[in-house]
Amino acid sequence: MPPDNGQYLFAAYIVAGVIYLGYAVRLMLRARR
Amino acid sequence: MTADPALSVIRRGIILTVLALIGVAVVMVMALQFTPVEANQGLAQKIFYVHVPTAAVALWIAVPATGIASILYLWLHDPRLDRFAAASAEVAVVFCLVVLTTGPIWGKPIWGTWWTWDGRLTLTLFLFFLLLGYHALRGSVRDPLERGRFSAVLGIMGMALVPFIHLSVYLWRGLHPQPVVLKPSAPSLPWEMLRTLLAGFGVFILLYVGFVTLRYGLQLAQDRKEEADAA
Repeated sequence: MPPDNGQYLFAAYIVAGVIYLGYAVRLMLRARR
Repeated sequence: MTADPALSVIRRGIILTVLALIGVAVVMVMALQFTPVEANQGLAQKIFYVHVPTAAVALWIAVPATGIASILYLWLHDPRLDRFAAASAEVAVVFCLVVLTTGPIWGKPIWGTWWTWDGRLTLTLFLFFLLLGYHALRGSVRDPLERGRFSAVLGIMGMALVPFIHLSVYLWRGLHPQPVVLKPSAPSLPWEMLRTLLAGFGVFILLYVGFVTLRYGLQLAQDRKEEADAA
């Protein structure tokens, strides 16, 4: 039976998503100016 | 009337970035829904599908591209190379940040610790600081020629670190596992896992290209504005 550690997976995906999305939004806002 | 080249580069960058971000979401869904759960590590092992391609793109594409563009800049003094090196180095910071955050989140349930001073982890952190230094240096030098020359040296030093980071798992015994794909022998992964990982490589390469294109276009627009103001 695999260990129950899904919360780490979701935390990692959220952190990665926030960093990538945040950087993309930052660049796009700069492009609008 | 000719279109502004910076604007068309920015537009291309935005399109590629949006496509790549959709791709990242697709890879995450593939990993969650269509890839088997690893028996020993459980769901946390699926961090692999974001962590490994991100690390590979940072270490094998973003940092070497910065280093090669830096070498060529020192030789040819073409401002496009400096602009590209700076764009690639900034994207490398973002990718390294993802590696250095997803890694510890994976490490905690598997190794029992968020961080260890293992050779691979320590050298990656060192590379991250070197890249931050690269940008701090660029921000502090006003003369474009000096800025390009000084930062090129740091860009080359960053590239020189990459082989040590790759070999660190062989040179020093630590907690970080050895490569399962980027190694001389065949990948030691079942096809269902390898498929998601390869999709991840494709998507994160596209994300790197999108980010660099967009960042390059922004810098080009800024350089042209400064030139126009100076004229």
